[in-house]
Amino acid sequence: MARYGMLINTKKCVGCYTCVAACQRQNNLLPSEQFIRFEERETGTYPTLSVETIPLQCMHCEDAPCAAVCPTGAAHIGTDGIVQVDQGRCIGCKYCMAACPYQVRVVNEETGTVDKCRFCTVSANDGTAMCSCVEACPTGARIFGDLDDPDSEISKAIAELNAQPIAGDLTKSKVFYVR
Amino acid sequence: MSGNAITRRGFLAGTAGVIGAAGLAGYMSFDAWERAYADDSDTHGTVSTVHSTCNGCSNKCGFTAYVVDGKLRKLIGDERHPMAKGKLCARGYAYAEIAYSKDRLTDPLKKNDKGQFEAISWEQALSEIGAKVQQIVSSDGPGALAMVQDPRPSGSYYAKRFMSALGSPNVYTHGAACYESRESGIKQVIGANSWTSDVANAQMTIFIGRSYADGLRPSALMAMEKAHEAGSHIVLVDPRFTNSQKFADEWVPITPGTDLALVLALCQVVTTEDLYDADYVAANSVGFDEFRESIAQYTPRWAAEKTGIDETTIKRLAHQMAQAAPACSIESGWRGPSGCQYKNSGELARAVACFNALLGVYNQKGGALLYPSVSAGKLDEGKFPSPPKPQAAQVGSDEFPLAVDGSALAAVKAASEGSVKGFFFYNSNMVGGYSNPSYLAQVVSGCDLSVCVDVQMSETAAACQYVLPDTSYLERSELPAFAGGAVPSVSMRTQVIDVVHPNTKPVDEIFTELAQACGVGQYFDFTMDELAAAQLASVGVDVDAARQMGTVYFNDKAFSYGSTPNWKTPTGKIQFASDACKKAGYEAVPSWIEPDVMPMGNELRLIEAKQPIHSHTMTANNETLMGITKKYDLTRAWINRSFAENLGIADGDTIEVSNEKYTGKIGVHVTDRIVPGALYLPSAYGVTVEDQHTAYGVGLRPADFLAFKLEPGYGSAMAHEVCVTVKKVNA
Repeated sequence: MARYGMLINTKKCVGCYTCVAACQRQNNLLPSEQFIRFEERETGTYPTLSVETIPLQCMHCEDAPCAAVCPTGAAHIGTDGIVQVDQGRCIGCKYCMAACPYQVRVVNEETGTVDKCRFCTVSANDGTAMCSCVEACPTGARIFGDLDDPDSEISKAIAELNAQPIAGDLTKSKVFYVR
Repeated sequence: MSGNAITRRGFLAGTAGVIGAAGLAGYMSFDAWERAYADDSDTHGTVSTVHSTCNGCSNKCGFTAYVVDGKLRKLIGDERHPMAKGKLCARGYAYAEIAYSKDRLTDPLKKNDKGQFEAISWEQALSEIGAKVQQIVSSDGPGALAMVQDPRPSGSYYAKRFMSALGSPNVYTHGAACYESRESGIKQVIGANSWTSDVANAQMTIFIGRSYADGLRPSALMAMEKAHEAGSHIVLVDPRFTNSQKFADEWVPITPGTDLALVLALCQVVTTEDLYDADYVAANSVGFDEFRESIAQYTPRWAAEKTGIDETTIKRLAHQMAQAAPACSIESGWRGPSGCQYKNSGELARAVACFNALLGVYNQKGGALLYPSVSAGKLDEGKFPSPPKPQAAQVGSDEFPLAVDGSALAAVKAASEGSVKGFFFYNSNMVGGYSNPSYLAQVVSGCDLSVCVDVQMSETAAACQYVLPDTSYLERSELPAFAGGAVPSVSMRTQVIDVVHPNTKPVDEIFTELAQACGVGQYFDFTMDELAAAQLASVGVDVDAARQMGTVYFNDKAFSYGSTPNWKTPTGKIQFASDACKKAGYEAVPSWIEPDVMPMGNELRLIEAKQPIHSHTMTANNETLMGITKKYDLTRAWINRSFAENLGIADGDTIEVSNEKYTGKIGVHVTDRIVPGALYLPSAYGVTVEDQHTAYGVGLRPADFLAFKLEPGYGSAMAHEVCVTVKKVNA
């Protein structure tokens, strides 16, 4: 068993939305379904300022609030620690959307069910060489891999860059940020 | 599945041949596709892959399309493609939806007496257009016909050949609203239209008004990132703090329209302080004495007044560049201040080229590189007879003699005066933004003949009498696209999916049939596939191999550092002084020219630029990209925080933007990311065509505020020579 996670280096993120569109195209999502959500922080005053762009998506929490509140078990932690939504069991009550501290769950307007980042490398039906967002990012801001493997690229990068979950140990998130 | 598709197994084995002609591909109706898409299952189906090139912007990045049972699924940027380097951008992924867009043009259209379009047959369209063309040619000569096309591999070849066959030299690109002044100014100095800054290997690079992260080309953005990580000093001179700032060391905010003053002062410092490469200048240039004498007046103090950049910074930048030379350059720019935006754009381009010459950076590692290119050689005249060279001079060449590609807007001017009577457009939305749209629409619709070939109803199509439906880039193969580069290459756009709408035709067929209808079909007695094969054979490449590989490199023509370029100017040298510029009414050496307008009192200069998710209005109707626009409110105007506070405007308010040409309302982003004297609008919005159901009515179109006026000598649109006032709505 692997314990999959992702690293996002905001110092390399130029806010180009390539990951958003790639995720939609490769996972066959609706135009209104965006699994990645950007936050932008402008600090300083003219002309000395800096801008931080932070892509947020399902953090695949080990302590997942969405799974805890889901009345039907549709939202659950699946194999390899990937938080999943069983579309057949989702009744569209949106409890999970209210519970998610990262606000990264979206409603599929056609089915009325809730969906979010699936770590598509391993969980998409046909699989891909790499998660679509990781593969697409033109600046290489994203790394995906097994957090339990100390030799994986992601494990080494987390240690080297001191990457941290976006909200500390709030939910035991498996997406780590360099800021 | 397309006849050019390669099955997954064949692709992996590397043995599959490329079979079938595009014309033999079957049809699949939109409804059938939609049903199939809805029922799609990833678990079955035949997967095939095709190498092709994107049409989301002019980079035309190479990608591999994964097609499942004839439906396009995934796209992967091609590692081998020089622009893509394995990556696509948001446009690349999303723009593929155009093939299945509900707003596609599906049939030839003709405008009736009430101004409404009616579907007509190809036969009727072609015969009526042919008759009108022949009428114009016999009454006014072929010089009364003009063509505007945004270059694409087949489009630029066929459009030009069609016009040449008719005897007209009036073929234009979108250059007058993009790169015309830059390429023209640079050509006056070094004899080439541009250079590529070797950003990745530079010690220092100054960008003026160009943002690799916004006008996104993956390979360029990656080079910038690499440079940043290696400690290269990167300076962005821009009225806005752009997304490229992530990989830069300095933001040098500048009063828009004054970049020329900055560069003249940089030249002044390195010249008067003897920091330039005197040996290089002596060996390679003409006109330096005249240049040195004139440049002395442009002191850093003088430039500080103009630009709002302090004198110390200007001096420091000049000193740092001189120290970094020859591993440095001022980047060439693109559509920015030297491209088409100001009355001094062409002169800015010249000044930048001169500055790089002073430091002797051309073809040096880390400097400004003049890359080699390869183009198709001579073809069999029996099969591909060359039309005679048109006799007449290109319309606009007398008034705008410096414009290397001519100016489409000069042809508009000629049409307004009655000397151009027929306008053709291919893949060009001139009316939607090259200059003032309502003026352009009025001129185009007033012509005796106006024909637009496109995939959706653009503002230009809406202004024309005839609209001919093109296939989308995914539904056709095209001629080879040759590209200059460190290793020159040729890339192939190859049909990915079957034609979706059976009554659309690929561009090569449209121009061939138009030529036949106009009585010049003898120059088009070949297929696109035959021509592609012949063009590639002329440079020793097999067309099937090229289509299968996507991109082929000409390794024997590779660039090497340290060579002295062959200066293709009239004097064979770098020209610090240009006779042609003098003849066109400029000083022989680059000199200060005031912008055409300057904001007074509470006015702001209206500036516009690309966002990374759109290519001007071309992608605005894309549902995925517009979904991003709406989620992040990206249509908002930007104004400087302190300016806004003085007017009582807060972030998120709605403001009214107004000048003598136009008044419109828009949300506002109050930010420190822009200089106080400017208002920024993104360039993609404000589409006025109701048939574009996603884009219609969203946001403001900067060009609506612009007056139709052209840069002297160069003929560019002067897109930023416009001021507006703002006020809070319901204040």
